[in-house]
Amino acid sequence: MSPERKIVKSTCKSCHGGCGVLVTVENGRMTHIEGNPETPTRGTMCAKGLASIQEVYNPNRIMHPMKRKGERGGGEWERISWEEGLKIITGKMKENIDHYGASSVAICQGTGRGYNRYTLRFARSIGTPNVALAAHFCYGPRLAAFGMTVGGRLYCDYHGWGGEYPKTQISWGKQLEITNADGEMAVWFLDSLDKAEHLILVDPRATRLVGKADLWLRVRPGTDAALALGMLNVIINEGLYDREFVENWTYGFDKLREAVQEYPPERVAEITWIPKDKIIAAARIFAKEKPGCIQIGESLEAGNNSIQTLRAIVCLMAVTGNIERPGSMINWITPSTGPMEDFAMDVPAPEEPAVGADEFRLLASPPFAMCHMPSVFRQLREGTSPIRVMHLEGNNPLVAYENTKQVKEGLLNLDFLSVADLYMSPTAEYADVILPVAHWLETDDIWDMHPRFMIGAINKAVDPVGEAWPDNKIFNELGKRIAPNYWFNNVEEMLDYELRRADITWKEFSQMGFLAKMGRDQPYYKYKTDYWRKGGGFPTTTGKVELYSTVMEKLGYNPLPYYIEPNESPYSTPELAKEYPLILSTGGRLPYYFHSQYRQVPWLRERQPYPIVQIHPETAEKLGIEEGAWVWIETPRGRIKQVAKLFAGMDSGVVVAQASWWYPEDPGPDHGLWKSNTNVLTRNDPPYDPAMGSTTLRALLCRLYKVEDE
Amino acid sequence: MERTIFIDKDKCIGCYACIVACKLEHNLAPYPIKPPLGDPKGPELIRVYQVGPKIRDGEVYQYFQPISCMHCTDAPCVKACPRSAIYKDTETGITLVDQDKCIGCKFCLWVCPYGAPQFQDGKLKLCNLCLHRLREGNQTACEAACQARAIHSDTTDEISALKGKKAAERAGQENSRFNHTNSKGQ
Repeated sequence: MSPERKIVKSTCKSCHGGCGVLVTVENGRMTHIEGNPETPTRGTMCAKGLASIQEVYNPNRIMHPMKRKGERGGGEWERISWEEGLKIITGKMKENIDHYGASSVAICQGTGRGYNRYTLRFARSIGTPNVALAAHFCYGPRLAAFGMTVGGRLYCDYHGWGGEYPKTQISWGKQLEITNADGEMAVWFLDSLDKAEHLILVDPRATRLVGKADLWLRVRPGTDAALALGMLNVIINEGLYDREFVENWTYGFDKLREAVQEYPPERVAEITWIPKDKIIAAARIFAKEKPGCIQIGESLEAGNNSIQTLRAIVCLMAVTGNIERPGSMINWITPSTGPMEDFAMDVPAPEEPAVGADEFRLLASPPFAMCHMPSVFRQLREGTSPIRVMHLEGNNPLVAYENTKQVKEGLLNLDFLSVADLYMSPTAEYADVILPVAHWLETDDIWDMHPRFMIGAINKAVDPVGEAWPDNKIFNELGKRIAPNYWFNNVEEMLDYELRRADITWKEFSQMGFLAKMGRDQPYYKYKTDYWRKGGGFPTTTGKVELYSTVMEKLGYNPLPYYIEPNESPYSTPELAKEYPLILSTGGRLPYYFHSQYRQVPWLRERQPYPIVQIHPETAEKLGIEEGAWVWIETPRGRIKQVAKLFAGMDSGVVVAQASWWYPEDPGPDHGLWKSNTNVLTRNDPPYDPAMGSTTLRALLCRLYKVEDE
Repeated sequence: MERTIFIDKDKCIGCYACIVACKLEHNLAPYPIKPPLGDPKGPELIRVYQVGPKIRDGEVYQYFQPISCMHCTDAPCVKACPRSAIYKDTETGITLVDQDKCIGCKFCLWVCPYGAPQFQDGKLKLCNLCLHRLREGNQTACEAACQARAIHSDTTDEISALKGKKAAERAGQENSRFNHTNSKGQ
């Protein structure tokens, strides 16, 4: 008998991006995966996606729903049916909604993975305002800063559809080339570099781009706003700004001009530790060598001044006229389906305020109104939280959120915790009910994360292992049991509904593979047409690019960008710096892991089995630390250990630790949570970003010493 | 036509996708995740080495260089193998292994200037430029996965033309950042 062999076309969901893939299935089992050359990512893939078959057929997968026996974290579980699992979870939710109001239930997920819209719709449908992704320090600030300034999201135009590629590129606090697609995809970025004449790298470290860059601005961690304001100062005072664009299409230029006078290059050089001539050179190149674009990363969001940092950078794009021009920053239009997140926005927003809404008014503002997770965990710890029940879909707060010890105290104060995941994470170990989630290779869904101009079909290659269900089915089934009006008979009906504006069904889309607005279908200079406004303009309150933000003014925040010192630094806390003399960034990222994911996957784990902390050779020598030695990294919150790697490509006063480490192979319930996880070190206390509630993860103070006892 | 592989360190971004693509394609042994986790990674028919960061003339430089079997025309491993287990494909010049003949003595590793020979279950494993894929008209698995377009597997003449064209273009861009990059010693 010849084996049954088929090739399934799908869309990889191993990060936010959506690379087209071909999956070989033989006798019902996947044997191979590779990129699909006929998709916009031209058949390329990363290590994460290529190893995904090992993630599916992994002995550590959660196979069936379970409920806790014995005490929380005791590791004793009873296998239950899906029906019972759903009944317990929805029963707890309904009971608490009836007694304490909908705000008593929180719905959370981790990093965006293409099911965001189900999470958000589910929360709205049951009436709770307490919904969250890790938005306060990841992507939320970018969405907000772009939204309030230009009325949409700006992406780098690496595609040349308008006839031009970026001549000058800035990569700022981002490693698009190896991390994940939260913006554009690495493959397009790398191709576009061939067409660029200038690449400016802004990063405390010599990243992989350093050899390709003609200018590296080695910024002191946490001072990026000062750098952006200094570059604005040079561009405006030297008259290098785009007069036509500024005069016709921006709002508040004179006020911005006034505000940036506080940031002459001499002062910015002192703040940022970047030589003055390099700041001036970068400003001149970006203003003169057009078109240009700036790829910005999460590093700029995880600080006490995230919104103003990003606002300053968006102002840089605007005054140089690098918005909507081919080869600059574009607010891509979506395929004919419209924005997929409308699926969540369809449902009326709850009237009650989310936790933290009084303080972090921007985070709580539509369309992405969310609760503030550091406040949620603080209130839970202090016993003042309205939240009693929490459902986590693909979320590992014990690794992901600031100050692990305090997150754990908070989580344990919940009345009920349910977790849906593929693996037994440290967080899942403390759940009351666990639901097994299907891998994307076991799922039918519509992928819509980044970029905005396309969506892709995630076509199930094989049936889920065990009894796992896809995220979309879990939310639909939970939803049907609490708020049936907003949910569907089955997933296919739901997918049909999501595609309705494109006038196609799921079955048709599944065959098409992807739907995109590319090439000539993607218009540029939309503000010069009636696209957003009759007679031209941007989709903002004033119809212009708001250098002076009327949104921030209305919410009671500073409408103009400014700089403040990080919460902890040699300048803001000199006393603390005597005890903890090194600047710590917890921003270390690797091409084969994504946040806390993939340490169970053999071909990925072997690339680097243990976390690495980068230490400057001079500092290491002073401290007697050798390459490859385990070192303690200590902050006032706690200490962790990682393996020393001597790295000359940064200031000797800076230390970079790798984030999100836990050890799936270590015994539960904590699976090595306290050993190397940088959130044991991070601070969850104020001051936060005033508008967004962002915490500081890239500019802390620490000390280092050798691990002596092993 | 003789085939070869060219891997451009100026393009490589150090993402390691080529290694995973290769392991999947050639069904190489997975790594057991049992503590304490050691460094040995099992056979890797393509390996990636990071050089730097180092400071040279005040500038920082670093690069990543993937290396596989070079498929030498006059291959030392072919001559050295005591069992004649290593041979050349007559059509493409690709270096191939007869696993039944291999005794795992590793003398090929002694003589290989690139450290290319890898071993699984005691037998030699060598990059075969994905000959099976080539016969179906496909690129090597590593080249297909590479987002940076750093890997090129082709005939020697085509690789020569590719590099020649690049050099010619560079000559006309006196002030381009690619020349600048080269001046940093890369």
